[in-house]
Formats: sequence, structure tokens, C-alpha cells
Amino acid sequence: MGQITATLGKTIKEFLRQKTILFWTIAWPILWVLIGSFSFTENAPSEVVSYIKGSIAISMSVFALMTAGIANLPGNIAQDRERGLLSKLMSMPINPWRDFVGRILALLAFSSLAAILVTLVGYICGARFSYTLTGLWQSIAFLLLVSLASAGIGMFIGTFVKHVHGAIMSGVGIAVVTAALSGVMAPYSSLPLLLQQFARIYPISSANSSITYLLAGEDYAGYNPLSVSQTSLTIVISLSLFIAGLIAYSRFCWRKE
Amino acid sequence: MDAIYAENLTKKYGDNEVLKEVNLKIAEGEFYALMGPNGSGKTTLASIIASVRPPSSGKVEIYGKKPEKAKDLIGYVPQENFSSPILAGKENLMYFAGLLGYSKNRAEEIVNELLNKIGLSEDANKRVSNYSGGMRKRLEVATVLFPGIKILILDEPTTGLDPSARRKFLGLIEELRKEETTILLITHIGADAELASRVGLIDKGEIIAENEPERLKKASGLKNVINIETTIKSEKVANVLSSFSEGQKVLETDVGYRIYCKDIEKATPRIVRSLDAIGCKATRIETEKPSLEDVFFKLTEKMVREVS
Repeated sequence: MGQITATLGKTIKEFLRQKTILFWTIAWPILWVLIGSFSFTENAPSEVVSYIKGSIAISMSVFALMTAGIANLPGNIAQDRERGLLSKLMSMPINPWRDFVGRILALLAFSSLAAILVTLVGYICGARFSYTLTGLWQSIAFLLLVSLASAGIGMFIGTFVKHVHGAIMSGVGIAVVTAALSGVMAPYSSLPLLLQQFARIYPISSANSSITYLLAGEDYAGYNPLSVSQTSLTIVISLSLFIAGLIAYSRFCWRKE
Repeated sequence: MDAIYAENLTKKYGDNEVLKEVNLKIAEGEFYALMGPNGSGKTTLASIIASVRPPSSGKVEIYGKKPEKAKDLIGYVPQENFSSPILAGKENLMYFAGLLGYSKNRAEEIVNELLNKIGLSEDANKRVSNYSGGMRKRLEVATVLFPGIKILILDEPTTGLDPSARRKFLGLIEELRKEETTILLITHIGADAELASRVGLIDKGEIIAENEPERLKKASGLKNVINIETTIKSEKVANVLSSFSEGQKVLETDVGYRIYCKDIEKATPRIVRSLDAIGCKATRIETEKPSLEDVFFKLTEKMVREVS
């Protein structure tokens, strides 16, 4: 067993055993898939219902990844700090980078589980997707970008919000508000112009639109998010958020004055 | 070579000097207790030795190496309960074994031995949230008992434990002492510090006295202590009692007062009469030998522990 495996195992067990985490990351998006699939499609033409349900399932899977990165990860970091585990780890011959990799791998594994469950419930509710193999791989790459951007924001929160409840509530708040404002939880076309611009800059939203575009079609994305400039922006901002969060975490979480 | 060596160790936070040129030498296999009240700098000192935080100036060495180069020799148990409450006791220890790089089979073997040693074998698969305070502390101490760790730094491990859990925990420390592990115990409880081979008293970031427990008591010049339970506690009562105490020092306790007296037999009836005269009854009077907490009080006029 190495440090990475040990941290991965511990973190994933903690994610899977906390009811609040399971609720916000898995139950809450599933609830919205159920509500969305049966309430928002009543007046839609029958030939598009399954794709609307598909786009709802995609958005809720993205929301699950957002919650995991923006709320669960900082909650986990703050919890370890609050109960003195970070002090304990600092006294041990271990590498902070390995701790970090273990946490991120746990986050990705848990996020994947959440996304699969949410998509599965969507499928059971009638969601259908139209995709090519390349489109599927591209979608997985965009899901990875969502996770990395969310983890970046989460590491910022976990580093600077010192208490567990503060970190979790800040994370949930940021995830819910930004998801609502950027079109993850509402159709892009229904957003006012200013928020449409935000949706294109906010990498989680633009990645969500990209996945919707790839798996459900342009009509459901609201615009073409796969242009070179838009895709580059999504990649650059996602990676920048992740790297910035990582720097904050390694510099400030693992240092005591 | 000293297991722990600190020279002119200073720690400042802005203008606040938490440690003031502290010098400390702890020999290999020694059980050293550092006793002081909250805010005296003892936790800061422990965390610097454990390489959790850097000093502002001065030098620390662990077996002649800088603390950050000797992390594999140090086992640090911070004040907080750092074990994960939603993992089982064994899962917590397996996590630490993994961090230390043991293979799964070897980790399993060592963890089972450790659980046996700390008396938690039967509760190994219970979640830590179901453990008592004492069980949790013993589990956390087990994280520093992996092979190769030569120095244990235990920061207030008995705080918050009930008397029975505390005794059991101290029993474990006594066992570890027999294995000739170097122990640095941070505490504000005199009775815990008495177990150590040497005690340092720390106040306002300075080690004000250091010696074997009995020598510290002898050097303080304190002969006897009288515990007086009173029907009321007030400044007036304290003033009356101060006239019977050496150096007029009166320590307030949970149920009354504690004074220092050379001639108990003469003083006791006079104390009762004087209290009566101001309308206060002494409901119980007990005498005992001075403790390390009394020595600390004599030196600083401060109590190590807060009175509830």
C-alpha cells in the first residue's frame, strides 16, 4: 500500500459513509432527474421528450460532479484540518503531493459513481442519447474538465474556509447558485444575455453545454460550445482553476505558521 | 546523543512571543513531561519539535538531525481527536500503515498487533464514532507505535477523559515507558506529569523549572497542603485563609481553597475559628503532600488548570 492508495481508500470510504454527502451528490441530482423527467416534459412533442430527458440527466450528472468537487472535497479537507489530522500528517514522513493525488483520485472515483447513477436513473426514466464513439470520448473528457474545475474551486474553499460546516455550506451554495445562474440547471436559451456570457466563461457550464451538444444535439445546448475558441476557453479556465486550487492547497493547507 | 535537543528556541506571532529562547534536552529513553497552563507555549513547542511548524529562531535537533529530516523517528499525537469517526478503528490504523508505506499483509500484521497492545482487538471493526473518549485516544496513540518510531510526542492526551479511562491510558504510557521509548508528554495535569522521570514547568513561553518530580517539590520548599471545603467562596474567605498560608498564597479549587502550611496541627483549629468568625463554615479539611500543580502555583502564582 502506498500513500496514494491509503488516502484514496480513506477518502472514498468517508465520502460513501456520510449521508449529507450522499444526499447532495447523488440523491439530490436524482431527485431533479425524476422531477424534470416527469414534470418538464408534459407539453413537449413526443419525438423530443427522450432527448429533453437526456439533457436533464446530463445536467444533473454535471451537477453531481460539481457538488462532489465544490462541496464534498473542501468539506473533507476542512474536516481533516479541524480534527488535527493535517497537523498529524505534517509530522509524518509523507509527501503532500501524494496526499493530494489520493484525494483527487477518490473524488474522481466518487464523482464517476455519482454521474453513472444519475445517468442510469435518467435512462430508466426514458432519457435517450444520440452519439458517436468519438462524441462519447469527448463527453468523458469534458466530464473530467468539470471535475477538475470543481476540484480547483473546492480546494480554494477547503484551504481558506477553516470550519467544516462553513466549507460544506459555502461549497453547496456556490455549486447551487452558479449552476442556476450559468445554465446547468436551466436551459441556456432562457438565460438573460449577461448570464449567457457567464455561462460561456464558467467552464462547468460550458463543459455541460458541450456534453449536451455531443450527446443530445445543438438544440438542447442552446449554442455551439464546440467551436475552437469556446473549447479552448473551457479547457484553459478549467485547468487554471484546478492549478490555482492546487497551489493554494499545497501552499496554505500544508503549512503552519 | 540527545533524542531531543532545542537551543534558544523562539517563536513569535507578530509582536507576541510565544516561546522565549527555550532550551531543552531530552535523553534517549527518557520520559519527560512538559507542564504548563493553556497559552504557556507547550503545544507550540511540541509542534515545532514534531516539525509541524517552524521556529522563528533557534535550533531543534532530533538525534542530531533537523526535525523535518527525522520525521520517521517521531510519532506525534496532537491534542485533537484526529482519527476518522466514520471509519472503524482498524481502518484508521490501516490508513496510517498505508501512509507509512507498509504492504497490505505487513500492515494487517502490525495493525493487529497494535490493536492487541492497546486493548482494542474486540472493537477493531467498530466505527470510531462508537468509541469512548479513552478508546479513541488509545487508538490515536497506536498510530505512533509503528516500528521504527523512537520518540513519542503526546499533546494533552488525557484531557477530557474520565478517571477510569485516564488510568487505563496512563497504564498504556507506563507500558511504553518500559520499552525505552523516548516520551515527551505535554500536560496541564500534575498527576500525569508525576509519572515522568523529569518534568519541565513552562509559563509564558519559558521553562521556569526543570527536574525530577520529587526534586521539584523539594526545591519548592512546600511542606504540606491543606484542602478546605467551605460553605461559601468569596474574596473575604480567601483573605482570611491567606494569613495561614506560606507566602499568603491561596489556590481556589472546585469546592473551596488550598493553602500551604508548615505546621498543620497548630493552623487547623485556628482556620476553623477564623472562618467561623466571618460566617463561613469549613465543611471538610484534608491535608496532603504538595503536588506539581502546587509547585507551579508557588512559582508563578497561577493555576495550571482552570477552576470550573
